[in-house]
Amino acid sequence: MFATERFDPQHVTRILFEGFSSPAIALFYLVGFAAIGVFCWGTWVQIRKYRRGQPQGAALALVPRFIDMCRTVLTHRTLVRRDPAAGRAHRLIFFGFALLFLGTSTIALDYDVIARVMGRSIWTGNFYLWFSLVLDLAGVALIGGLLYMMARRGWIKPPKLDYTRPDRQPGDPDYDRSFYRREDWAFLWTLIVIGATGFVLEASRLVWLQARPEVWELRWWSPIGAGVAEAMRGAGLDADGAGALRSGLWWFHGALALTLIALIPFTKVKHIVTAPASLMLRNPLAAQRLPRQSPDSERVGYSTITDFTWKHLLNLDACTKCGRCHEACPARASGAPLSPRDVILSLREFANEALQKNALPDEAKLSVHGKDVGQVFMETLWSCRTCMACVEICPVAIEHVPIIVQMRRKLVEDGAMEPQLQKTLQTIHKTGNSFGESKRKRAGWTKPLPFQIKDARKDPVDVLWFVGDYAAFDPRNQKVSQAFATLLHDKGVDFGLLFEGESNAGNDVRRVGEEGLYELLAENNIAMLGASTFKRIVTTDPHSFNTIRNEYPEFGGKYEIEHYTSFVQRMLEEGTLKVRRPLGYRVTLHDPCHLGRYNKGYDAPRRILQALGCELVEMARNRDNSFCCGAGGGRIWMPDPVGAEKPSQIRMREAGDIEGLEVFVVCCPKDLTMFEDALKTSGFEGRFVVRELIELITEALAEPASVAGMAREPAEDALLA
Amino acid sequence: MKILVPIKQVATLDEDFEFREDGRDIDPDFLIHDLNEWDNYTLEEAMRLKEGPGGEGIEVVVATVGPESADEELRKCLAKGADRALRVWSDALEDADAIGVARVLAALARRESPDLIFAGVQATDHACGATGMALAGLLDLPHAAVVAALDYTPGSNSATVRRELEGGSYASVRIDCPAVLTLQLGINTPRYASLRGIKQAAQRPIEVLDAEALGVTADALGAAGSASRVRRMYVPEKGRAQMIEGTPAEQAARLAQIIKEFGGAA
Repeated sequence: MFATERFDPQHVTRILFEGFSSPAIALFYLVGFAAIGVFCWGTWVQIRKYRRGQPQGAALALVPRFIDMCRTVLTHRTLVRRDPAAGRAHRLIFFGFALLFLGTSTIALDYDVIARVMGRSIWTGNFYLWFSLVLDLAGVALIGGLLYMMARRGWIKPPKLDYTRPDRQPGDPDYDRSFYRREDWAFLWTLIVIGATGFVLEASRLVWLQARPEVWELRWWSPIGAGVAEAMRGAGLDADGAGALRSGLWWFHGALALTLIALIPFTKVKHIVTAPASLMLRNPLAAQRLPRQSPDSERVGYSTITDFTWKHLLNLDACTKCGRCHEACPARASGAPLSPRDVILSLREFANEALQKNALPDEAKLSVHGKDVGQVFMETLWSCRTCMACVEICPVAIEHVPIIVQMRRKLVEDGAMEPQLQKTLQTIHKTGNSFGESKRKRAGWTKPLPFQIKDARKDPVDVLWFVGDYAAFDPRNQKVSQAFATLLHDKGVDFGLLFEGESNAGNDVRRVGEEGLYELLAENNIAMLGASTFKRIVTTDPHSFNTIRNEYPEFGGKYEIEHYTSFVQRMLEEGTLKVRRPLGYRVTLHDPCHLGRYNKGYDAPRRILQALGCELVEMARNRDNSFCCGAGGGRIWMPDPVGAEKPSQIRMREAGDIEGLEVFVVCCPKDLTMFEDALKTSGFEGRFVVRELIELITEALAEPASVAGMAREPAEDALLA
Repeated sequence: MKILVPIKQVATLDEDFEFREDGRDIDPDFLIHDLNEWDNYTLEEAMRLKEGPGGEGIEVVVATVGPESADEELRKCLAKGADRALRVWSDALEDADAIGVARVLAALARRESPDLIFAGVQATDHACGATGMALAGLLDLPHAAVVAALDYTPGSNSATVRRELEGGSYASVRIDCPAVLTLQLGINTPRYASLRGIKQAAQRPIEVLDAEALGVTADALGAAGSASRVRRMYVPEKGRAQMIEGTPAEQAARLAQIIKEFGGAA
């Protein structure tokens, strides 16, 4: 039955316009061209919108980026992350849709070009049969995926698909974004109706042409269509009835499909273009290395929508509202008026309103800051911890953090910030540190040590230890610094400090949006580092690590730098450090944003914990999904709202769920401060303790005799010593 | 119209500091400089008038009496929107007290003839609280000290001010202009000068004047024009607290004895 030998391959094909009058065919072409015309016009409007943005800087390596984008799209790598079911369903829709689109394009190409040029169609014989089968399966995939998405929206209802906004009040015109909900459903229904009518159309054609053996006998190459055809015949539909059904349905199916094409540039359908484009423009260091600000520029950061780079404008259009960022955002989780998704959608709505018209509105109407519909509140921008959770998980490479920081730059220039933050910035300008201590006290923590630490500005050293503000000035963290210094000293590491020559590294100052102050700090540090002799920098501060590693090179400071975790891990592996007293604690590890997500330093702290003989139990959110302590982006210098649960407290609850947890391990000075505080305020004091990894290392390296008297209970004395 | 805002570069101390060899001041190595806290408010008040209704024609002039390092504070003011910056210095001014500084400012004010002068109530370092009022005295202008609110329409020849008095009470005062006002903290919310603004202000000129060139004669300059002189700077001896040991009865007896001794001494 499936053999083509019995038929002339030229006859094994599908009728296209059979039974259509010439005017009807002409009408179809007219509608088709009109749809394509609307699509092209809409595309131009979108391109014009992007062109109203600013140039995006350096030229892009388009070929490798294109290859990378294809890989991402074809594997759906970014879509299956943290939501595998939705990712798989989207994969079905994507491949179904793509195959059906390619199939339809093939038919058009064959009918309108190949057949006319070569005089014969290639869409025949075995090729046609396999084509039918593949497209039938593509239709099944499409409908299957769509049904899951409908079930997801209608029944499963994951919280991240709730579009109501944390930054607006009920009753505000843009509070619930119900338009998006309706658009989602319209999109799903349109696609599913196109898919379903496609099958019914196929079936009615089979029934209509059942008298033709080359149609009917080969019908099972279109298994779904054939099945439906059998059912139609079973229900008593004859060839004539099927023919009538076919001509009606043909126009309906065609009109719907062409409408969809025409609407691509104007609706969420455009993500099929903008999402891959955004992925292709992905900057792998988007948040790690913030864009520089031209010092002579009249304009500061993002004030109006036309200050955005065209790439960021395109980013806005790539958002599919999937909610992964909304779910991951620590500010949103703690009730702050910020959801990264809403920032992007607000700006997108604003851009569409302002930049799609023929003429650009007045400058005053282009400001993205304010309290109006579509504008972004300053409270929203200041809620961001720049923890990069949103950028990390965004499946379409939207750069939320750089966009927010660019907008903050404008707020900083206008002084629109918390008084406490303003004071801190002035303090950092004055003293070079956020504690307001004098420069000469920076190395005050070294005084109790029984040995001298080298001054790298005077004596050459192998390792320059960049300490950072918190580890140098905060009394609790000073103990950790002393422990690390002792460890380095005892193991004979040739190391030194910049002493009072060190300034705040500027990572968080830059993320606050005070670019001028950042440049000053970076230049000071680079000058100091330039005047010192060392082989590599080791830092105990992930924030300093990030900016020195990723941002200083743009200011002329290129160094070999690592976080202490990788340094210590190597010492353990090389045998320079020997664990004398395996700890046996049940621990969990908090990945600091700037070590983990920002710089992918996930493994070193884990390997150290393993070497120390700790039993590591991961929290649900770990590694790239680590949940920010709430201190980043300058938030450590701003008061959190009273009453609301802070991100650090939420994290404590997460750790508290681990049965028998003894130590909550951190490897960032700010984490130590934030979580020791949260431990008390969230009521877990006495249940487990917060420790800097360095403290566990020191404990495990100690002579067993010296700690023999200590209880093994870390919560009691050993760790509280 | 013109508003003159005299400012001061003040010093803050490190926790461990040393005195200068002559014992009359702190060793400059231990000082961190900054703009006097009150001056953020005086400049902001001037800017508020300038940016408010009818303020288009207002020129805000910041001025200081200080060495070159004080330019940094003037730049902060330029970054915040001041139109012009002036600095007056002569080595002899090293020994000037508040009155001595006021003499120089008065000479400057005569040259500039502003419609209003906004000075801070006091400076965070020496805390004399005298410069503004001395300036008013030297210029023989109406004055109001410790102003917590100002109601002034640009161009008008009087202003209404709310003066902060002791015990949480206020006095509302109408004052004729030109006038010298010393403004209190909290009168407004000072703006932030971004580093970018400060850097850009570095390109703008600061007019540097010699005190003599302003007509301050040698007999009124520095120590000669001052009413006081620092003899010695020192850290007071730590308090003489002591724990009284013993039973409650013994402690009470000892306490009574100490009170009697002090009573006798008084």
